[in-house]
Amino acid sequence: MEQLAPIAIFLFVLFLLLGSGVWVGLALMGVAYVGMELFTLRPAGDAMITRIWSASSSWTLTALPLFIWMGEILYRTRLSEDMFRGLAPWMARLPGGLIHTNIVGCTVFAAVSGSSAATLTTVGRMSIPELRRRGYPEPMVIGTLAGAATLGLMIPPSLTLIVYGVTINESITRLFMAGVVPGLVLAALFMAYVALASRLSKSFAPTPEPALSLIERLKAARHLLPVLCLIVVVIGSMYLGYATATEAAAFGVLGALALAAAQGSLSAASFGASLMGAVRTSAMIALILAGAAFLSLSMGFTGIPRGLADLIAGFDLSRVQLILALLVFYIVLGCFLDGISSVVLTMAVVEPMIRAAGIDLIWFGIFIVVVVEMAQITPPIGFNLFVLQGMTGHGMGFIARAALPMFLIMVVMVFVLIAVPGLATWLPDSLRQRPGG
Amino acid sequence: ETWDMPMAYAASNFHSEVGAEFARCVGEATGGALEIVTHPSGALFGGAEIKRAVQTGQANIGERLLSAHENENPLFGVDSIPFLVSSFDEHERLWAIAEPHVAAALEEDNLHYLYSVPWPPQGLYVNKPVETVEDLKGVKFRSYSAATARMAELTRMVPVQVEAAELSQALATGVAESFISSGATGYDRKVWEHLSHFYEVDAWLPRNAVFANLDAWTGLDEATRSAVGDCAAKAQAEGLERSKAYTAFTVEGLKEGGMTVGRAPEGLVVGLKAIGETMTGEWLDRAGDEGRAIVEAYRQGQ
Amino acid sequence: MARAAAGLRALRRLLDALYLAGGVIAAGFLLAILGLIVAQMVARWTGHVVPGASDYAGYCMAAASFFAFAHALDRGAHIRVGLLLTALGRHRRWAEIWAMAVGAVTATFFARYAVKGTYWSWKLGDVSQGLDRTPLWVPQLSMAAGTVLLAICFWDHLIRLIATGDDGIRTEQAEDRPAGPR
Ligand code: NA
Ligand code: NA
Repeated sequence: MEQLAPIAIFLFVLFLLLGSGVWVGLALMGVAYVGMELFTLRPAGDAMITRIWSASSSWTLTALPLFIWMGEILYRTRLSEDMFRGLAPWMARLPGGLIHTNIVGCTVFAAVSGSSAATLTTVGRMSIPELRRRGYPEPMVIGTLAGAATLGLMIPPSLTLIVYGVTINESITRLFMAGVVPGLVLAALFMAYVALASRLSKSFAPTPEPALSLIERLKAARHLLPVLCLIVVVIGSMYLGYATATEAAAFGVLGALALAAAQGSLSAASFGASLMGAVRTSAMIALILAGAAFLSLSMGFTGIPRGLADLIAGFDLSRVQLILALLVFYIVLGCFLDGISSVVLTMAVVEPMIRAAGIDLIWFGIFIVVVVEMAQITPPIGFNLFVLQGMTGHGMGFIARAALPMFLIMVVMVFVLIAVPGLATWLPDSLRQRPGG
Repeated sequence: ETWDMPMAYAASNFHSEVGAEFARCVGEATGGALEIVTHPSGALFGGAEIKRAVQTGQANIGERLLSAHENENPLFGVDSIPFLVSSFDEHERLWAIAEPHVAAALEEDNLHYLYSVPWPPQGLYVNKPVETVEDLKGVKFRSYSAATARMAELTRMVPVQVEAAELSQALATGVAESFISSGATGYDRKVWEHLSHFYEVDAWLPRNAVFANLDAWTGLDEATRSAVGDCAAKAQAEGLERSKAYTAFTVEGLKEGGMTVGRAPEGLVVGLKAIGETMTGEWLDRAGDEGRAIVEAYRQGQ
Repeated sequence: MARAAAGLRALRRLLDALYLAGGVIAAGFLLAILGLIVAQMVARWTGHVVPGASDYAGYCMAAASFFAFAHALDRGAHIRVGLLLTALGRHRRWAEIWAMAVGAVTATFFARYAVKGTYWSWKLGDVSQGLDRTPLWVPQLSMAAGTVLLAICFWDHLIRLIATGDDGIRTEQAEDRPAGPR
């Protein structure tokens, strides 16, 4: 195992820098730099800038600050208040109550956004204050949000599936279709967990909502109208072909501004505050993305991910064994790399293994997405954890613990996928029967 | 010595496979004195960064779609002049004339040219049958480069700028209704899910070039350099055969997918050739005497 | 003595203004992204094209990030793992200095190579590969300027932390944060 020494050094430096409180993006840069200096003769600083510039100036990234801005605008309107006023009479009686709005909200938003950070900030900005005000337990609020936001990667459009599809030459449309049912199943699993946990937990005691008659409840539902309009406009713009996935974010911002204006909550001050808030949050994410891009380059030069994948290839495993080995492999890798880097750095070795084992590549794409989703919420490098830390001020440990049940549910989801592969393959297969054109 | 070789396309793409074979050849021919490790899928640097990375020694060797750098030097786009050549054989004849000029241009950028392999010929994907250029008017056409944007203008199609990552979605939602690419792209992206016709117009055959950092190259001893050169020549020949075979394979695949595939009808060819004349003229204006010499030498041989 | 203090106060005001200006410039670029994307959509609906719009949006994306790095640090928006810092209790200061110093050194490294990379783009005459044909050093100026500002901001906070025991990071609007220690 020639990889052992570099792995040990990477881990040591990573835990030293992250653990001692160095800002995350810069800590990743530091780790990457040490790796480059020790294991390659290439000029570390120059290669870093080449990679960081291309990662930071990418056009597909522009949707992220726009969605974050949309969240900031909505946060300053009465929209989330209204939305919860409309939903509360209907959902408060359900086991788990309004916590479900986190999951439903993320599922709906996932249909617009291809990234989990955008899903997280937009939904969280609206739901966290409302849920806190109603006395829902904090770990449940944070945990469900961290978990459900990862649906942004599974429910189309999805950046991860695009990268995967391009890497292995599969139809992105088919991959997108394959993600729909598993995405909904995963959302249902999250909701089932919320229902169960709310019944079992003693600390689950939200402020009771007033009992309302059916007429009153229907009346309250009118408050849902603005948010429904916004959802229809943003999703509709994309599925009717007026906007691409990136452009839908612009619709989101304009729609949010229009709503704020209609409610009278749009002033120069609130506009400026939302804009500056969005700028700070996206700068925070951009610095981490820059560090992650350099780390991924450094890992690529050292060849660790490929080497480990090679190791698995050498074991000569059966189909199920292989899937389980890859599950563990990607979970471990996901602790240290973002999902897209994990895919890109390993697929050259993993793809032939999968093909040789006769595993359906569409199915494997969905498998990869679930595993990559897990990576979003595993410490020490988990994007959703970082974003939630920035948003709520809670420590990394608290957030990671809150998200742990969601991580376990995703592990369950992998086994569901193994047991019922049709979840992923049924929709794309049945739509393929149509004549071409 | 170990050289890392960033490559932009997926490991299963034939360019990447030829590159991997080249790397293996170099390792064997030099008895391990020079090992080349390929990094497909843009794992080290994305396509857009590879040339700069090799130029400045961030990687010692790399592969890049040459015509993407036409903005820097029109000569890099000599393989992408629309409708100048219309078959593998004609393209190879043009390239035989242009190759030393391109190699010299690369050397000015601190790069040593090793070999290059053409993509399959670029054809026209469209969502309806087309008889003449007139029929294309108003069709939403994906433009992604200066040349494709100009082509939309000349054919009076509506240019829509769609990035590669969003091509499938743009086709699915009707944002784009037509684009020019090789049969390979359409086959890989399973374009038959959205479009009905593929016309083999053989618009041009862009090349992927493999080049080394010039300082790293001159740092090698004579024996190693000649061994690498032999492997490069082998890779270029092998790549051409793979490209031809893959063209036939993907065109078959498009048919099986349910697309109407065939040579372009006479009326369309005539119209496109006229547009090609215009665009060749425009390229010559940009490329100056050296470009003019290449195209004239090519035309005289016809 | 008094003149030195006045000079320090002026420097303090200048630096604070610089960080804020970076944030405001970044906000301008975020607005520009919105404008470019809307323009591109409208152009498409009406059968026109804005040449290079997506490339320009990409450059604006970079500028919106890089210019805001220092402002985000100054307002406590960049995040870090606080586990050890909290555990250290009254010895926390030394860990704070260490983290700030590592940050300052790394940010300086980042800035040095960002400036170098931009310089070489200019020297080599690198041109973008898209329809926009932009000389790459122009948009890369945002990277050079933003990272230099971030490095200055780190050294500024490090010096303040050593001299006064307070790093001077002021977190914006804590109204939606939970009560209790962060
Ligand atoms: Na999504
Ligand atoms: Na992780």
